[in-house]
Amino acid sequence: MLLKIYLKEMKDCFRDRRTLLLTVLLPIIMMTGLTFFYESLISEGEGETYSLAVEKSFGAKEAELFSGMENIEFVQSANPEETLTEGEAVAALVLSPDFLTSIEKGEEASVTLIGDSFSQNSTNLMNLVTTTLTAFEKSVTATRLQSQGTDLSVIQPFTIDQKEISEDNPNVNLLAMLIPLMLSLAIGVGASPSASDLFAGEKERKTMEALLMTPVNRSTLLFAKWMTIASVGTITGLTTLGVVAAEITFLTENLKQAVSFGDNAWLIIGLALVMTILFSMFNASLLMITSIMGKTVKESQSYSTPVMMLTILPTMIITGIGINELTFEHFAIPIMNLFSLLKELLFGVINYEHIVITLGSNIVFMVLFFIIGRIMFMKDKWVMN
Amino acid sequence: MIEINEVTKQFKDKKKFITALKHVSFSVNKGEVVGLLGENGAGKTTLLRSVATLLTPTDGEITVAGYNTQQNPNEIKKHIGVLFGGETGLYDRLTARENLAYFATLYGMGKHETKVRIEELAKMFGMRDYLDRKVGGFSKGMRQKVAIARTLIHNPDIILFDEPTTGLDITSSNVFRQLVHQLKREGKTILFSSHIMEEVSMLCDTVAMMHKGELVYHGKLEELYRSEGSRDLNYIFMSKLVRGNEDYAS
Repeated sequence: MLLKIYLKEMKDCFRDRRTLLLTVLLPIIMMTGLTFFYESLISEGEGETYSLAVEKSFGAKEAELFSGMENIEFVQSANPEETLTEGEAVAALVLSPDFLTSIEKGEEASVTLIGDSFSQNSTNLMNLVTTTLTAFEKSVTATRLQSQGTDLSVIQPFTIDQKEISEDNPNVNLLAMLIPLMLSLAIGVGASPSASDLFAGEKERKTMEALLMTPVNRSTLLFAKWMTIASVGTITGLTTLGVVAAEITFLTENLKQAVSFGDNAWLIIGLALVMTILFSMFNASLLMITSIMGKTVKESQSYSTPVMMLTILPTMIITGIGINELTFEHFAIPIMNLFSLLKELLFGVINYEHIVITLGSNIVFMVLFFIIGRIMFMKDKWVMN
Repeated sequence: MIEINEVTKQFKDKKKFITALKHVSFSVNKGEVVGLLGENGAGKTTLLRSVATLLTPTDGEITVAGYNTQQNPNEIKKHIGVLFGGETGLYDRLTARENLAYFATLYGMGKHETKVRIEELAKMFGMRDYLDRKVGGFSKGMRQKVAIARTLIHNPDIILFDEPTTGLDITSSNVFRQLVHQLKREGKTILFSSHIMEEVSMLCDTVAMMHKGELVYHGKLEELYRSEGSRDLNYIFMSKLVRGNEDYAS
């Protein structure tokens, strides 16, 4: 009986265009958009040419200072600031008259750099120009000190050598934020219409009364409906993972380089799939309660929206935390543990203790919410409007 | 077939209790068609839902086909078919056949039995042309026919209808009335609520009149006509209410 009810519910769900749209099309669109956005974010600056407005007097000698910066294009103008305002350049550089001659003679010289800190391109160009001029400033200082017979160590008493503890590609952190966020959102958004339809929708259409009039046990009905919500969530989650994996592999360069699971590739993929299924089941229990609470589909959706918003919160907490800083709480709290475990997996870390805590916590909360849902479903107040 | 004994039903609304049924007692015999009359809020739907095991009485007891509604609800469900008015309770994305087959499954019917029964009902209600179309595109009359067929899919002995002709056009209402006559000929026991007096006088052997949760009359329709000296059920109903409630006298 359970299987028959489940199959009917699945058929009914997938005949709904919203379910098809949200379980298949939405993950593809969402993941494609975000994958390309992050890819472009990583590759930002690479191969990009920035226009720098300079005065007419800016000659070959001045340009030689920037000889290593091939991505800077000079736009000569009578008024560089105006050129910048008009949008013909992203930053403007104004040198004091006879800039290089003044420096050679040891006279006072100045540089004015004008830009727009609200523009990423302008900020990037200003950083490039500042770096170049700082290097030039240091070389002038060094030349002057040497000519006076002073040791260079006077201006550089120590050197700083930074070492990175993680050997991972820094871009993997972006993926560790992107994948769980998209996965949790996709599962929540994908399963939500089905969940609302299966309880609140049935009450609204009065099919619930017809169902309750049959000799089928209420628990069987509840379990079949919960299985349907969990299945729709799982399909959405697996579609999301499939789409992101395919797009990273075939359509990106930087993100692809960031992912390297080594020998544990299949284990990590398997664990990610298990986590997706388990999270879908946990999510199904939560959405089931919000749907039972609602008298109409609309009311049910207004209860489920805040639940889906919860899935965004862990992004803010987990993003700034290194994998070595993750503690018991990060793996014991549902939703948060999806982010924590997937972060570890994406960094190629397999910690069985964390995996057990995560799976156990999801199962415990899933069962708890299911029991609450069952108690509600057994009461006439919640099943009949 | 149906024994309603001193049934009281209260609902909790915020901090106060609302009494929907007050010590209601009457019985419905096998093969009898009983009309439940009353204004909106009289307690007709609450009583039908209690008989259908969907609601538990606060006090008193109901026996259907020999089973107590609180002790053996699933046994009762095998013997009764229920259609609540206003809504047809069908799945729009399924075809009429799929809707009927699904409910047949829930009643534990086998594949062959279901197929035969669906064909039988389709013939009875003239639904063959649209049996394999999705219910979402049906007119109200078509939906009502499928809903009635769903109610009868497991061939129940007892049928409960709650204002079944509400919102139906004349043709669809007539289809329903013909069906009740047919079911009566087949010896089915029917309890239905209505506020259409003409319908009740046409179909029922017995009437039960309710007002503010109380049973104000229960008896054979012919006896009622005789005792009131009139065959105008509308007039009789109003005069019963006037006698039962001073508000109506003005």
